Amino acid sequence: MSSLLVLDKVVKRFGGIVATNGLSFHVDRGESLALIGPNGAGKTTIFSLIMGEHRQNSGTIKLNGEEISHLPTHKRIQKGVARTYQVPRPFSEMDVAGNIRVGMMPDNLWKMITQSADPDAELTIARSVGFRDEDLLRKPSELSMGDLRKLELARTLAAKPEIMLLDEVFAGLTVGEIEQISDLLAQKRKEGLTYIIVSHDLRALEPLVDRAVAMTFGRAIAEGSFIEVMDDEAVRSAYLGQ
Amino acid sequence: MARPLLGWAIFAVAMLLLPQFVSNGTLRIIIFANFLAIFAMSWDFISGKTGYISFGHPFLIGIGAYTSAILSYRFGMPVSLSIPLAVLATMVGGTLFFLPALRIKGTYFALVTLAFMELMYQLVQVIRPDLTGGTRGISGIKTILSGAAPNFYLSFGLMFAIGLALWLLSRTRLGTALDAISMNEEAVSGSGLNTTRLKLFAFMVSALVAGLGGAFYVHYLGSIAPRALFDINFVFTIIVSVLIGGSATIIGPIMGAFFMTFLLEYLRPLLPGSERYLVYGMIALVLYVYQPKGIMQILKNLSLRTRGPQTGRSGNV
Repeated sequence: MSSLLVLDKVVKRFGGIVATNGLSFHVDRGESLALIGPNGAGKTTIFSLIMGEHRQNSGTIKLNGEEISHLPTHKRIQKGVARTYQVPRPFSEMDVAGNIRVGMMPDNLWKMITQSADPDAELTIARSVGFRDEDLLRKPSELSMGDLRKLELARTLAAKPEIMLLDEVFAGLTVGEIEQISDLLAQKRKEGLTYIIVSHDLRALEPLVDRAVAMTFGRAIAEGSFIEVMDDEAVRSAYLGQ
Repeated sequence: MARPLLGWAIFAVAMLLLPQFVSNGTLRIIIFANFLAIFAMSWDFISGKTGYISFGHPFLIGIGAYTSAILSYRFGMPVSLSIPLAVLATMVGGTLFFLPALRIKGTYFALVTLAFMELMYQLVQVIRPDLTGGTRGISGIKTILSGAAPNFYLSFGLMFAIGLALWLLSRTRLGTALDAISMNEEAVSGSGLNTTRLKLFAFMVSALVAGLGGAFYVHYLGSIAPRALFDINFVFTIIVSVLIGGSATIIGPIMGAFFMTFLLEYLRPLLPGSERYLVYGMIALVLYVYQPKGIMQILKNLSLRTRGPQTGRSGNV
């Protein structure tokens, strides 16, 4: 299987703080990977580096074998990688359909003007994350945290990514909502979506991933199946602070 | 789509019949309202839609007005040529205006654009006063038409064409994308869209409209002076028109511009001095606090109340 995303010796410093310290890992096509580690381990920074929201100081990031480090965020998304955020960031004045519409737009001014939106495709994406038809007209302010996460997923899926970076998708959700999102991800995984997922909810994570990478202080300390990584001595001490 | 277009048609017919019913004095007031509406829509397309607040729109309007005035007055160029050149010059100016928006947002952007206006004010007085007329400006500029009614038709035709074009543009997905920039620019680029290109487009359209408005305005007035144009009160009148009418709606700024112009005119006999601005400021403030989305929203709520909630699932206004 070919590697879809490869990070090689990536270093990112913020002033004197080393957020990512020579990290390397890869994700194969169709694979799902958990990125785990205590607070401040640098998990979200990795996502920001992959998306080009921050630039690494050294190291390479390759998508489909192509170096993407020099590309701006929107170009990387066009190449097939997209992310969700810990705090959902919807377009607050637009309804659910409008939010998905922005996610589906082609990056071409002429097409934006001449081609109208496709309500059926918007509906299909909304349904695929579990929205009901009547939800399309609701504004983000009327949505629960679980629905906001779904909206975030829908908007990201609308860009048709090959690999998705899911940041704390279970945070702030009720048990029922966690189950919903979890089922949704399991479904997407079955359909062949590749993703990297970051979460503190390790129990919810376990059935959703093929492999895990544990990190602390910006470096990987263990890699393998989820069970192996959780049993790792270094991982236990990093989490429990022993 | 059909119903709002009918609204535009009714608006056009009503306005075109207007000269039959109102005095020339009222027509002259409406001419000012038309120009204010053009400037307000220009502001709305960049600031209302994308959230990049411009305090320097007179910079753009000024380029349009001065370029056409100088070309026609000093070089004897026909208006049919000087106006297109003025619009082109304004669009180049719009690109300059755009550069700070690449790096800064919010209040800082607003302040930099204010500096653009002030810079222009100083420059036209100092650089080549033989061309710009310095502090005194230029008078005796060619007018395109004479008489209240012809000028009313011209200014209304221009305002209507610009309004309809911008409104149609706002209803496309491009309009939605510009709205999205004002709500969360990172998420727009996070949807794979080049926000720099989107913003540049909005700036160019805004500059085009400002240039057109400025050039036609100067050929209506027949004179131009720096202090009247590069004035913070002028900026505020534009911005308040948009806010009062309802920003990012294009129709709102037209209503706002008419509201503001007539409010100021009707207050004039009651309060001849500058205390007029105090009252107008208070009315604007009360209206804004009552409904931050402006007259547009007030009318929409009224129509909802009388006709019941609408069905259908368009996300757009």
